[in-house]
Amino acid sequence: MATFSEHLRARSDPELVDLLARRPDLANPSPSTIASLAARAGSRVSLERALTGVDASVLQVLESVVALGGDHAGGAVPAADVARAVGATGDGTARTGVEDAVTEATALALLWGDDAGLHPSPGLADVLGPYPAGLGPVVDDVPDDLAPLLAEAPPAARSVLDALTWGPPVGRRPAADAVEARRAVEWLLTRGLLARADTAHVVLPRRVGLALRDGRTHAHPETHCPHPTGTVHPETTVEAESAGAAQEIVRLVAALVHLWERTPPNVLRSGGLGVRELRRAAGALETDEGLAALVVEVAGAAGFVVDDGEDPPAFSPTVDVDAWWDTDLAARWAVLAGAWLATPRTPWVVGGRDERGELRAALDPELARPWAPRLRRAVLEILAAREPGTALTADDVLTVLRWRAPRSVPPPAAVEAILREAGHLGVLGAGALSRAGRALLEPDAGDAAAAMAAALPEPVDDVLLQGDLTGIVPGRPTPALAALLDRATRVESRGAALTVRFTAQSVEEALDSGQSADELLAELAAHARGPLPQPLEYLVRDTARRHGRLRVGSAGGYVRVEDPTLLAGLVEDPALAELGLVRLAPTVLAAQVGPAALLAALRARGLAPAAERPDGQVVLARPLVRRVPGRGRRRRGAIAGAGGPAEAPVTTTAATQRLRSLVPALRRAEALQQSGAAPGAPGAAGTPDPVAALATLREAVADGREVWLEIVGPDGAPQRRRVRPVRVDGGRVRAVDSARDAELTVAVHRIAAVTPIDPEDAPS
Amino acid sequence: MTDGPLIVQSDKTLLLEVDHDQAEACRRAIAPFAELERAPEHVHTYRLTPLGLWNARAAGHDAEQVVSALLEYSRYPVPHALLVDVAETMSRFGRLQLVSHPVHGLVLHAVDRAVLEEVLRSRRTAGLVGERLDDTDVVVHPSERGHLKQVLLKLGWPAEDLAGYVDGEAHPIDLDTSSWSLRPYQQQAVDGFWHGGSGVVVLPCGAGKTLVGAGAMARSGTTTLILVTNTVSARQWRDELVKRTTLTEDEIGEYSGARKEIRPVTIATYQVLTTKRKGVYTHLELLDARDWGLVVYDEVHLLPAPIFRMTADLQARRRLGLTATLVREDGREDEVFSLIGPKRFDAPWKDIEAQGYIAPADCVEVRLTLPDRDRMLYATAEPEEKYRLAATAAGKNRVVEQLVAKHEGDPTLIIGQYLDQLEELGEHLDAPVLTGATTVTERQRLYDAFRAGEITKLVVSKVANFSIDLPEASVAIQVSGSFGSRQEEAQRLGRLLRPKGDGRTAHFYTVVARDTVDQEFAAHRQRFLAEQGYAYTIVDAEDLVTDPNG
Repeated sequence: MATFSEHLRARSDPELVDLLARRPDLANPSPSTIASLAARAGSRVSLERALTGVDASVLQVLESVVALGGDHAGGAVPAADVARAVGATGDGTARTGVEDAVTEATALALLWGDDAGLHPSPGLADVLGPYPAGLGPVVDDVPDDLAPLLAEAPPAARSVLDALTWGPPVGRRPAADAVEARRAVEWLLTRGLLARADTAHVVLPRRVGLALRDGRTHAHPETHCPHPTGTVHPETTVEAESAGAAQEIVRLVAALVHLWERTPPNVLRSGGLGVRELRRAAGALETDEGLAALVVEVAGAAGFVVDDGEDPPAFSPTVDVDAWWDTDLAARWAVLAGAWLATPRTPWVVGGRDERGELRAALDPELARPWAPRLRRAVLEILAAREPGTALTADDVLTVLRWRAPRSVPPPAAVEAILREAGHLGVLGAGALSRAGRALLEPDAGDAAAAMAAALPEPVDDVLLQGDLTGIVPGRPTPALAALLDRATRVESRGAALTVRFTAQSVEEALDSGQSADELLAELAAHARGPLPQPLEYLVRDTARRHGRLRVGSAGGYVRVEDPTLLAGLVEDPALAELGLVRLAPTVLAAQVGPAALLAALRARGLAPAAERPDGQVVLARPLVRRVPGRGRRRRGAIAGAGGPAEAPVTTTAATQRLRSLVPALRRAEALQQSGAAPGAPGAAGTPDPVAALATLREAVADGREVWLEIVGPDGAPQRRRVRPVRVDGGRVRAVDSARDAELTVAVHRIAAVTPIDPEDAPS
Repeated sequence: MTDGPLIVQSDKTLLLEVDHDQAEACRRAIAPFAELERAPEHVHTYRLTPLGLWNARAAGHDAEQVVSALLEYSRYPVPHALLVDVAETMSRFGRLQLVSHPVHGLVLHAVDRAVLEEVLRSRRTAGLVGERLDDTDVVVHPSERGHLKQVLLKLGWPAEDLAGYVDGEAHPIDLDTSSWSLRPYQQQAVDGFWHGGSGVVVLPCGAGKTLVGAGAMARSGTTTLILVTNTVSARQWRDELVKRTTLTEDEIGEYSGARKEIRPVTIATYQVLTTKRKGVYTHLELLDARDWGLVVYDEVHLLPAPIFRMTADLQARRRLGLTATLVREDGREDEVFSLIGPKRFDAPWKDIEAQGYIAPADCVEVRLTLPDRDRMLYATAEPEEKYRLAATAAGKNRVVEQLVAKHEGDPTLIIGQYLDQLEELGEHLDAPVLTGATTVTERQRLYDAFRAGEITKLVVSKVANFSIDLPEASVAIQVSGSFGSRQEEAQRLGRLLRPKGDGRTAHFYTVVARDTVDQEFAAHRQRFLAEQGYAYTIVDAEDLVTDPNG
C-alpha cells in the first residue's frame, strides 16, 4: 500500500510547486527531502493553517473522508461514497462540486487518492477533532444488524437517539431521579446502541450515528457558496446616500482636526484617547461616541492626527491635513476611504472593555488587528460580487464568509461594524456598494475619487434667506458659500440641503473673523436669491453696533489720578518711555511694566505715587511689623500668601535688626566647621551643602555608620553631635546619639553640616 | 433626480420650496402626514413625527402613499433609512384595535399577536385589561379605555379606536343659515371630524372655530357639553350659538363659577371643572349629568392636565377638539392624540388668509434705546427684576403714543402684562384699562363699546389673550408679555386677525427695550411670527418719529 510520502513523491514537479505555493509554510524553511516535506505537511500547525483557508465544501469532504475512514479497510474511502455521504446524489451540480472539492483537497495535500479510494493525510483526523462531522467514535461491539434494533427502540430511547443523531454525539447520563430517561439510556446501552464515554456521559457510536443518518455524514451538501439575495436599491439612491455620507465624513474629520488644532487632547499613558476626550469630540461633532471613535480612528489612519511626543504628549494635527484640505471634496474622501480600507485599526471595539476589564480607548495602539483590512476587503468584495445596488445584511455576509472559511469565521460584531463603518464612510450607500466604493476595491483605487466626484450633486451657489433668520441651501453648497455660512451661521439640519440659522452669536463670530457688517451683508447678498430680509439686515447691523464695544487688552500696571492735568506730559516724557505708558482715559494710564517698576520710575521722576490694592485702598508706607509663629504651635502654610505687601522688599528696621543678629550666628557655625575644631573629626571636611548633606546622611543610614552632625539650635547656637542616623524622611533626620544613648530627631533645615566618620575612628 | 420642490433631509425634516410650480400640489400631498413646523417666505419646513404619521394612518393614509408622495416630489433621492422608518412607524398604528365585542363588550383586539404579548407584558398595562379571551383578544374595562390608549401610545403601539360611540341623548340642533353659511373649509372640517368620529380640528384664530363646533353639533343632533377656557368665552359661545343655530337661550346652560345650569347644551369652563375642594373635584358629576352625545373642547392646546384625566373616562362619547395649534408648551401633544383623537382637519393660516377669510397682518418690532439713566438702572438690577425694568421702560409710553397717533381712529388694543404700566398708559392715552380685576359686566360693556366704535383705544392685560372677540381691532401694540411664549403670541395675533370689513391690513406692534432681556424675548416672537409666514420688520423708535410712513 502506498503511503502519503510516496504519494507526494509521485506528484509531478508542477503539482509540488503548486502545493508549495498554496501552503507556503511547507516551503519555509526549505524542507530537505520529500519525506521531511510529508512530515511537515502532516504536522498539526501546518494542517491547521491549511484548514483555515479551505471553504465549506472542502471541509465537508475532508470530514466525510475522515468519518467514513474509520469504517473502511485501510482508511481508504471510495470517492462515490463520499459524494453520497455528503448528500450529493445524482449527477447534478452538487456532484461536480464534490469532485471539485476533492481535487482541491488533494492539491492541498489534505487528501490523497489511490486505487482503493481517498485517504486523509496523516494527522488530519486529529486536527479535525474526535467527532468529525459530529459523528461519535468507532466502537467495536456495535451489533451488525442495526436496522431492526433501531426499529424496535421504544419512544423514549428513540428521542435520545434523535437528540444525538446530528451531533454532538455525546450526552450527559440522566440524573438518578429521571427514571424514564435513565431506563431509555440503559436500554440503548445494553443493546450497544450507545456507549459509555465516561461515568457521566454516553456517546453515540459512529456506525450507529451513520445508520441513523441513513449513511450520510452531512445533512446538506455545501458544495456551492451560498448566494443571499439581499435587497436591491435604485442606483440613484445608493449613489446619493454614498455621496451624502462622503460629505459628512469629510466634514467630521475636518471638524475633528479643527477642534484638536486648538485644544489637542492628551495621550493616555496607555497610548490612547481618554474617554472624556472622546466624549468632548462627540459633543463638538454632534455625533454619538461610536461615530466619533470612527472619525478619530479614520483621522488617525489617514495620518492627520498623531501623538506629538511632547511632554505631556497630545494628539495633534499633522501638516498632511493642510495638503489634504487643499484638494477637492472627492479627493479628500478618497484619502479617508483608502485609509479606512487599509487600516488595521478596529474602531468598533472602542468603548468596550478588554479582558482585564479596562475601557478600550480610541487610538490605543492595542486596537490594531492584522486581519481587519483583510476582513474589510472580504466583506466589500462579497457586495461587489452582487448586482449593483444590492444591500446585504451582516447575516448575509456572514453566511458567505462562513462558507468560505468555516474554520475561521470572523466575529459577527466585526462584520456588522464593518458594514456600518462602510456606510459612514460613503463606501456603501443604503447598504449597497456605491460606484466609488467599487472603484476603491480596484487595485490602484485611482478612479475612486473620480467616481465620487460623479456621485456628488452639483454644488449650489445660492442660499434662500428668510425672515425667520434661517437660510436654506437647496443642495450642496459651493466651497465659498460653505465657508461663508460656516463663519456666520449655526447649522440646523444637514442632508441633501443645508439649513442654517443666523443668531447674534454667529454673526458676532463672523465679525470677529475680521469682516465688517457691510462686507458680510454684501457677501450674503451676492449669494442670496432675492433681497436680504429686513430682520437679517437689522440683526447684522445691530450686532455690529454692539460688537467690540468692550475692549480688552493687557497691561502690567496702571496709573490713575483725580486730576487729569497731573497726567499731562507723562505719556510723551522720554524719561518714562520704557514704561510703555498708554492713555486709556483722561485720568487713567496703562503701563506695560509692573507696579513696583512704575512706583520706582515715578518716584525717580519726582512725583509722589502711592501703591493701591485691587480694592482701591492705598498701601501705606508705614513699617511692616513682622511676627513669627510662637514656639510649640506650628502653623502650616504660615508663609504670607502670594502677592500683597509681604512680598515687598524688606525695608523695616525691626526686620533689618533681626537679620543683622542672625548673620554672626551663621558665621560662627561656619567657622566651627571650617576649623574642624570639633573633636573626633580631624581633617574631615563637613558637608554644608544641604543636598550633599542629605546624601551623606542617607549613605550613613545605609551603611549603619556614624557621622558628625552640626545642628543649629533653636537659639541660633551651633551644636555638634556624633550620631548614627537611622532614617531620613519627610524633612527630618532620626538619629541615635550613642554617647548619650538617646535618640534625636532633627529638622533638615537645622542641619548645618554633616561629616562622615570612618569606622576606624570609632571612639573606644 | 427630479426637479421637485421638496428636499427630504435625513433628520426627518422636509423642506418645501414654496415658489416652485409644484409646491401647492406637494403641500397637499404631504400635509396629511407631515407637521408644518415653520412657514417663512421661501422654504417651509415640515417634520415627520410618529404622531403625524399616526394621524395620517388614522385618516386612512397608508405608508405607501406617504412614501410615494415623498418620492414623487423630492428633488434628491430620499434617504433610504427614512423611508424604512416611515413604513415601520406607520405600521405600528392599528396593530391593536379597540373594538366592541357583541358578548364581551370593549375588547382589545390584536391584528398582530406578538404586539399584544408585548404590551400585555408591560407593567404599564397591568390593571387596565381584564380577562384574556384568546390569542388575539383581551377584555378592557370600559372605564380604562382612555388610560389604555394613553399607555399604548407611550409604548409605541397606538391603538385604533373602533369601539364606536354612544349615541347620546338626541336633541335637534340645526344651523340657521338664513343669513350666512359655513365656509368651505369649515364644512370640510366638520366632515373630517364626523367621519373620523373623534379628533381635533386645527384652525387659525379668527378662522371661525366656533362655527365648526356649531356645525358638528348640528351634525350630531344630540345634547352637547362644551368646555371652554373662561366665562367670557362661554358667553361668546352662547351668543354665537343663539345667533347661528336653531338653539334658543333656554336650551343653553352655563356651568361656571357664577352659574350652575345644566341644559341640553351646556357650556362649562375648565376652571370650574378643575376646582377642587378638599382634594376632590367637586363638579365631575357634570360629565355624567346628561347622556352627552358630543363633547367639544375649545382651545385644546390649553386643556389643563386634570381635564385629560377626566376625558380618559369619556372615551365612549364623541369628542371634538378645537385649537389654533397642536403645539403645547407642556409637550402633552400625545395625550391630545390618544384622549381626544387624531387631527382631523388642518389648514395653515396663510391659506385661509389668502382666501380672504382672515386679515393679512404686518408685524413690526419697535426697538427703543433706553436713556443712559435707565440703562444704568437696568445694568445694576437684580436678574429677576431685569425683565420688569426693561418691559416697563418709561420711554415706551411715548412710542405707544406715536403709534396710536399714527393709526388714529383705527380700533387699537394696547396689550401689556404689568398693571401699573397699563394704568399709566391708560392715563397717558386717555383710554379705558381692562384687567383681571375688571368686573364681567364692565368688561362686556367695554367690549360692546369697542365693537360699536364708541371707543377706539383699549388698554388690556393678559385677560385679553383668551377668547375675547374684538372684531374690528386692527392695530395691536404689545408693550410687555410673558416671556415670549409662542402660545401667547398666537393668541394676540389672533385678536387682530378676525376678518376686517374693508380688507385692511392688521398691524401688530411690539415695543421692546434695546439691549435688554426684552429684546431677547422679542427674538422668540420674531421667530415665531416669521415662521408663521408673517412679514416681520424691525424699526428703531427714533426712526418712527422721523419717518411717519415707516
